[in-house]
Amino acid sequence: MEARAEQLIAAVADAAARWCNADFPPRVRTAHALAARTGYSAPVVDYALDRLFGAVTREALRATIAGELGALEALDGFVARQGRPDVWFRPAGKVAIVSSDTTIGVALHPLVFAVCAKAEVLVKDREDRLIAAFAETLAQERPELAERVTSQPWDGAEGAARLAEAGVVVAFGRDATLRAIRAALPPQTRFVPFGHRTSVGYVTRTSLGDEAAARRCARAAALDALLYDGDGCLSLHALFVERGGAIEPERFARLVSEACDEVAVEFPAGPLHDERAALYRKRLLFRAAQGAGAVHSGAHGGHTVAYDPPGDEPPPLFARTLALHAVRGPGEALAYLREHALPLEGFATDVPPGPELLAAAVAGGATRIARLGTLQDPPLGGEHGGAGRILPFVRAIYRS
Amino acid sequence: MSVDARALDEAFLAIVRDWAGGGAGCDEARFDELARATFSYQLERNEPYARFARACGVDAAHPPRSWREIPAVPSAAFKDATLATFDVAQAELVFHTSGTTAARSGKHYFERALLYDAALLAGFDRFMLADGARLRYLNLVPNPRCRPHSSLGYMMGHVSVLRGDGAAGYFLDDDRVDAAGFSAALAEASRRGRPVCIAGTAFAFAALLDALEAQGSTFAAPPGSRVMETGGFKGRARAVERGELYARLEWTLGIAQSSIVAEYGMTELASQYYDAPASRGAAVRVKVAPPWLRTLVVDPSGRELPAGEPGFLRHVDLGNRSSAVAIETEDRGYRSGEGIVLLGRAIDAPPRGCSLDAEDLIAAR
Repeated sequence: MEARAEQLIAAVADAAARWCNADFPPRVRTAHALAARTGYSAPVVDYALDRLFGAVTREALRATIAGELGALEALDGFVARQGRPDVWFRPAGKVAIVSSDTTIGVALHPLVFAVCAKAEVLVKDREDRLIAAFAETLAQERPELAERVTSQPWDGAEGAARLAEAGVVVAFGRDATLRAIRAALPPQTRFVPFGHRTSVGYVTRTSLGDEAAARRCARAAALDALLYDGDGCLSLHALFVERGGAIEPERFARLVSEACDEVAVEFPAGPLHDERAALYRKRLLFRAAQGAGAVHSGAHGGHTVAYDPPGDEPPPLFARTLALHAVRGPGEALAYLREHALPLEGFATDVPPGPELLAAAVAGGATRIARLGTLQDPPLGGEHGGAGRILPFVRAIYRS
Repeated sequence: MSVDARALDEAFLAIVRDWAGGGAGCDEARFDELARATFSYQLERNEPYARFARACGVDAAHPPRSWREIPAVPSAAFKDATLATFDVAQAELVFHTSGTTAARSGKHYFERALLYDAALLAGFDRFMLADGARLRYLNLVPNPRCRPHSSLGYMMGHVSVLRGDGAAGYFLDDDRVDAAGFSAALAEASRRGRPVCIAGTAFAFAALLDALEAQGSTFAAPPGSRVMETGGFKGRARAVERGELYARLEWTLGIAQSSIVAEYGMTELASQYYDAPASRGAAVRVKVAPPWLRTLVVDPSGRELPAGEPGFLRHVDLGNRSSAVAIETEDRGYRSGEGIVLLGRAIDAPPRGCSLDAEDLIAAR
């Protein structure tokens, strides 16, 4: 007999709760493998796992599913809707998740929603085997999920054959990768692409009224920039800072650099360094010697904060590197985003954005607006990449 | 022009002449002396370079103790400042750099074309025309008449005029390869038994091969024909595996892979590297330079690395007398014997996450 949605949610949430325990043996093993694959330090991996699994709660799953489908019960049978026909959401077919270019566990959230949608799920796993290990935990919660959720590495023709069987394909990667996957799929396959994206932030004069407030804001920006070494689509790579506060943007850049040093104590850089950042620093040093902008790399040179880098260039998309642009208002930030056609995921602000700043974030293409310091901690119920969480995995059957 | 500049230029040209005439060229002591003299000259006359050197702790009172310690300007600095020792309105040559992500290009000004011409011809003669052949040049590079600020276009234009048979052709218009025109020209050269030199970027060759292969066209270039391929993927979203490219060139053009020579140069330098003749049949090709161009392999902190260890390439080119003698690049490689092995560019490093990177931005344009 098919499990009810509530039972699946319970299984998923209980499995995730076990993974929130830092001493849970599968997590310990996987954390080592993740550190080896990504090069992130152990505290960064632990932070990622805490955030990843901590977000997967019963409440968040229920609220997200009910929010998108109208009612949780719509996964179990027909439910009545106000002014519309009754509806029942069934799986849209087998779900395949391909996550070749991701930081840690990006495939997990699509996986849990696909499971809640009662779909069969196939995940192309990474060498760290995170998804496979979580699938084993899921199977301990509900043994029938052992057959419904499979996770394995694959390549080439084998991969193409697997994808061709799927009704829904979720893929993370570059545009070229996504195009290639899309081209190989039958036309009726539902394709949910997540291309590479970046995130930016905005600091208003409100946070620059005094040193203490500016330091708090600087620390929040540093956290968003340094976590995952800038590899994620929610990593902060450019920060627009308003002129006219008691703390001017140039001084704020120095505070961000000092904050990066502090954050690096908690979240040290991994052993894999981005050599491009070192070259970029040298270029900034050259510019600074000419009186243009400044570069701060902290006490140990583990990060790069570029103040007033060339405005006609896109942000430096390197590890632990943040470009800080002084602006008069949101309009200048938006002009920069438009000039460089940056595909945006997140737009972080120091305070709840006013109408002008909100308009800039929306017009800039952001799919998430967040407080600085929380960029890398997205809620489960948010529409990652602007797409629904469970909607891609279901097909609606209505009766009239 | 000051006496100092003339003396430096004469010294440089003497090295070029000696080497072109079969001489050894330039020993370590002579190179060191000239490199430091050139840098000292630039400190006095190239203020942006001097400011950068001061930021690196080097000035007239604290000069470098050897050429290895000369502060190297990052190649991108050509976009940020005018790096010249003279009034650039008097420049005899101006080349524009191509950027990977920047909207703006940099400019490399040369006070005297004579130096640039001497360096490029000597290198080309030694590494491409050791047999003294007079070839027909089929160029997949920008036509210098249309793109006068392309250093590659200038180079091949100069070579075609001075070393060609008078029937050179250009088959690249912006990024579009004129495959039909090229095919006709190569067929004509083949009919006349006239060996050709086909020069182009890897990008242009890939586009040409795509077109020729789509038509099913193959050629048997006349004996003595050769290819000069140069790194042309800077700023491109597409990558090509070099071994595969050479195999396709051999198959389609009928030119043996051992007659395909990779040149490595950049707008920010006056001089070029070429595949060492002895390594042209090898799996790993070693590039060698004329004696007035030397290269250090350094780590991100600038520390020189031993042979075999990969790092960034820092070039010291005496031909850059009127700009900056030492240039730090994004190109990666390692020392091997008397040359270097190129490994690509730092920007080609694969992404580890879902963050946007420079290649995504290029592809989006």
